[in-house]
Amino acid sequence: MNKLAEYDGPILEIDKLSISFFTRLREIPAVMDFSVSVQPGEAVGLVGESGCGKSTVALGVMQDLGTNGRIVGGSIKFKGRDLAEMSAEELRDVRGNEIAMIYQEPMASLNPAMKIGRQLMEVPMIHEGVNEKEAHARALEVVTDVRLPDPERMLNSYPHQLSGGQQQRIVIAMALMSKPSLLILDEPTTALDVTVEAAVVELVKDLGKKYGTSMLFISHNLGLVLETCDRLCVMYSGEAVERGSIADVFDEMQHPYTQALFRSIPLPGADKTARPLVAIPGNFPLPHERPNGCNFGPRCDYFEAGRCDADDIMMSDVPGNDRHATRCLRFQEIDWNAPIQVGEQKEKTKPGKVVLKMDNLKKYYEVAANALFGGGATKVVKANETLSFEARESETLAIVGESGCGKSTFAKVLMGLETATEGAILLDGTNIEQIPIEARDTKTISDVQMVFQNPFDTLNPSMTVGRQIIRALEIFDIGDSDQDRKQRMLELLDLVKLPRAFADRMPRQLSGGQKQRVGIARAFSGGARIVVADEPVSALDVSVQAAVTDLLMEIQREEKTTLLFISHDLSIVRYLSDRVMVMYLGHVVELGDTDQVFSPPYHPYTEALLSAVPIADTSIEKEHIVLEGDIPSAMNPPSGCPFQTRCRWKSEVPAGLCDIEVPPVRQLETGHQIKCHLSDAVLDRMTPVIKVAAE
Amino acid sequence: MDPLSWTGQIAFLNPIIALALGLLVASVLAWVVVSAVLPENRAINDIGGTMTLASGPRDIAALAVRLTTLGTTVLALAYLVLGLALGTDAGILGAMAQQFWPVWTALVLLFTLSIAFKRRLGLYGKLFDSPIGMIGFALVMFWVFTGFFGAIDLIITHDPLSQLSGLKNKVPGTPLRSPEDGDFLWYLLGGDNLARDVFSRMVKGAWEVVKIAPLATIFAFMVGITLGLPAGYFGGRLDTFLSFLANLILAFPVILLFYLLVTPEIVATGLPQYMAAVLFAFPLIFFGVLINSRYRTQPSKNYLWLAIVLLPLLVAYFSLINEDGSKINFIPQAFDLFDIPGGILVVFVSVVFVNSPTVFRIVRGLTMDIKTRDYVAAAQTRGERPWYIMLWEVLPNARGPLIVDFCLRIGYTTILLGTLGFFGLGLPPESPDWGSTINEGRKLLSIYLHPALPPAMALLSLVLGLNLLADGLREESLKD
Repeated sequence: MNKLAEYDGPILEIDKLSISFFTRLREIPAVMDFSVSVQPGEAVGLVGESGCGKSTVALGVMQDLGTNGRIVGGSIKFKGRDLAEMSAEELRDVRGNEIAMIYQEPMASLNPAMKIGRQLMEVPMIHEGVNEKEAHARALEVVTDVRLPDPERMLNSYPHQLSGGQQQRIVIAMALMSKPSLLILDEPTTALDVTVEAAVVELVKDLGKKYGTSMLFISHNLGLVLETCDRLCVMYSGEAVERGSIADVFDEMQHPYTQALFRSIPLPGADKTARPLVAIPGNFPLPHERPNGCNFGPRCDYFEAGRCDADDIMMSDVPGNDRHATRCLRFQEIDWNAPIQVGEQKEKTKPGKVVLKMDNLKKYYEVAANALFGGGATKVVKANETLSFEARESETLAIVGESGCGKSTFAKVLMGLETATEGAILLDGTNIEQIPIEARDTKTISDVQMVFQNPFDTLNPSMTVGRQIIRALEIFDIGDSDQDRKQRMLELLDLVKLPRAFADRMPRQLSGGQKQRVGIARAFSGGARIVVADEPVSALDVSVQAAVTDLLMEIQREEKTTLLFISHDLSIVRYLSDRVMVMYLGHVVELGDTDQVFSPPYHPYTEALLSAVPIADTSIEKEHIVLEGDIPSAMNPPSGCPFQTRCRWKSEVPAGLCDIEVPPVRQLETGHQIKCHLSDAVLDRMTPVIKVAAE
Repeated sequence: MDPLSWTGQIAFLNPIIALALGLLVASVLAWVVVSAVLPENRAINDIGGTMTLASGPRDIAALAVRLTTLGTTVLALAYLVLGLALGTDAGILGAMAQQFWPVWTALVLLFTLSIAFKRRLGLYGKLFDSPIGMIGFALVMFWVFTGFFGAIDLIITHDPLSQLSGLKNKVPGTPLRSPEDGDFLWYLLGGDNLARDVFSRMVKGAWEVVKIAPLATIFAFMVGITLGLPAGYFGGRLDTFLSFLANLILAFPVILLFYLLVTPEIVATGLPQYMAAVLFAFPLIFFGVLINSRYRTQPSKNYLWLAIVLLPLLVAYFSLINEDGSKINFIPQAFDLFDIPGGILVVFVSVVFVNSPTVFRIVRGLTMDIKTRDYVAAAQTRGERPWYIMLWEVLPNARGPLIVDFCLRIGYTTILLGTLGFFGLGLPPESPDWGSTINEGRKLLSIYLHPALPPAMALLSLVLGLNLLADGLREESLKD
């Protein structure tokens, strides 16, 4: 047990690793010929879409592949020792002690029946046999290190008493308890809000430096990897396709997949006409349906038949760069600096007349303290406060905000699942805010439809795709006979660019992006004029996101739909929306044209949001703003301005006005309004958060 | 005529199987001890992917268990095959094996077909990937086929109700005293207290169980589902009220309820019939709502389907609850198609009454979970009515746990039927059902073991089969 013993080779050395899962039908290769090495103190990113095998690599390192997973080739060496040759006893010693892992879902990583302190103290008590007192002291130290307020109280609380961000910090603290030499982070921030994510990422980065820990950072988000890692490895369909330092891979990419990946993500710094999104054609191959030769071949622009699909392709070093390798036969022939082939750009239709108008909408919920007998004091949750805006025909209005900001409540009120407490919703000049959905006529219902966030949840798993669309048509009174409706359903499938054969498929046979397309077809089945899209692409892989986004915009152009696009991803919002509304704790804090919102003066919250978005572009410089703490609960909002607890500009407002009074709505320019006490002079001083560095 | 021995000419197998069983027990014991004492070993892979052949004491013990199990199974099959070939020459076991030939044929056919097409049969096909599930399914189907073929007089050797002189309480294998032409010459499993053939009664009893238990369970599910869905979906006061009611019923002593239901004074008030009228109305409500919510927007189709499904159900319902000379007797004789004997009605009412609260709870819990899904929200936002969402969006997605519970619950119901029969409730006294037979055999249990044991073993194996089947289904439905 001398983990501090000197060892100066690479901490982790994975060499030609292949991992397969064995099902009763066949062997499914999950990872093939994968090599990477992590040097001491280095952070290596592992990037790829879901199903590319990046988590399997992590599990392979932990030697925790379950009953049907097996390493079928290659070796994993940790500090020079082959993990596969260790006995169960030795492995137990290494896991949690020398290699620690942080998982995606913080709540699932903590034992809900144990106090935080106990869970943390277990680590050194098991691995190093220290006594309880010392373990407690160590726990206190680590909790302070992860910058949690009031560490004593934290140690004494149960996991459910903490917020998601705090839980993830505890998980990180637990991983650091034994001062491991390797930390594996498997999508550690996916379940968190952007501003919380930014804070956690910064924490991980600082702690990595402080403890000198090597890190294997698994993520699908290129921007995050750019911010945290020194080197990265791009994976596609079970293979590493490109490997190198951040600067080499980001600026001198040498693999078509890496290039396609970068082209399919929107960058908030870039202009959408100069740099349109380019979706990767086709679908991710299933593990048992991989093509011969290059796995990316069928989707690649540079594909050369007879060469790229002939033999297995090996990694080859890129000359001139340090440890930069690519799995492409043609990388030296391709002109990597060729400009993007821009497809035919369709002119955006001008916004028409106002279709939807919200006026001072309020939605309060009363929560009884005692649900069974209805007695006791009732608490009021102010989910929406004075929401006012207009939306025009064929306009995209983005609604931005983190969880708990009241986006979903607003959608529910608009759809009629809830009725408003106060204020008005006017659809074509008719009030609908007090009409629940049962009382609305078919026309109103089919006019306002919704696209949901989670593609795996949006379709009924036990009904065929066609049947679900036909059901929507039946409900909206479209078509006179079953034949009519069937025809219309097939046309809808054409509209969302799905093959007609999909009508008879069950949802589980579809990929996430395809399911989302069916969800869109269903929303548009009644000729919807207003579509609320609740984070429609946030759960999809980056390469699919672009295609689904483009599809939504194309349908919008054709049908002149008003799109209310709910999202927390400011990159995509900037790319597709005409106007942006930023919400915080039920308040609209900023509203204006996209350009107005994305350039100073900002509302302090918008500024923080912009700064928190990870951007996958090395030429972008961001001002670094980290919000302290979590979003306050809507049950117990702060007095005065809702954002005052986390605002970094608060000191600029005289006389503590922020604590006392909710700021009034102020018009800055035509159509640009913010809810803030800051004086014009202060607002004028604001500088852009995102700057393109001078070339 | 000589009495039959148990194994006849194949008695030479007896010492062998005794040895095999002994070895099996020894190897299992060794395996348990070895795996408790020795540390777990990890599969270590050579480079290139070949697994090293395992050779620790652990693996040897596991191998021994596997080999002895195989040997014992082969021997048991040998009894069966030789018995089929030799018939009564192979003693009682051989004769029984031969009598069950339609069941064996049906089982072999069913399994061959199912395994051949298992990839196209969904969850049912997946069942054939799980040995536990297959054993359970085989046990269940054995009794289902036995019940079916017994009902058409294929397996039985004598009439289950006729008494033959001189065979009262006679041991298994006793020959008939004065056989007539075409009679089977022995009482295979002996005679009971009234000189009836125990073997034939057991086979006939299977039909009683196979006929009543699933049907009664289906009714219990209809009630549980129809109440559980709205309780889970709407929540609030309705949920509080229904859950309280379910708890109340669950807390009620079941045996007392059964005795109350058959007390003549209570029967005279018509209470069981009123309860039946309420409980049996649930399938009507269920199917009515199911169809109406689905075709709400197309009235013509809606009425057509409602008529096709509800009219026969209505007729059946009224025939069921209407009985001449009882409290509920309002429709003319001509429309009263069939009468259910009072005892069977009580069985149904009590089974439904006892099982539906538990089903209610399961459905309620599942609904509360599923109603948070996006597809339910999607249905709400396109203006679907609550009952459509409950029956067409929620219920089909709750089917996995419900199917498993259904299998388990048939098992409980079978035992409940046995319990009811044991107390002399429900079915008529001469009925060959297993519970009543066990009860009758119980009286002389200290002198004659043989009349009570066969139905008890039958009950045991059927319920075991149902539990294994449920286990297999659960295991397989979790995989994908």
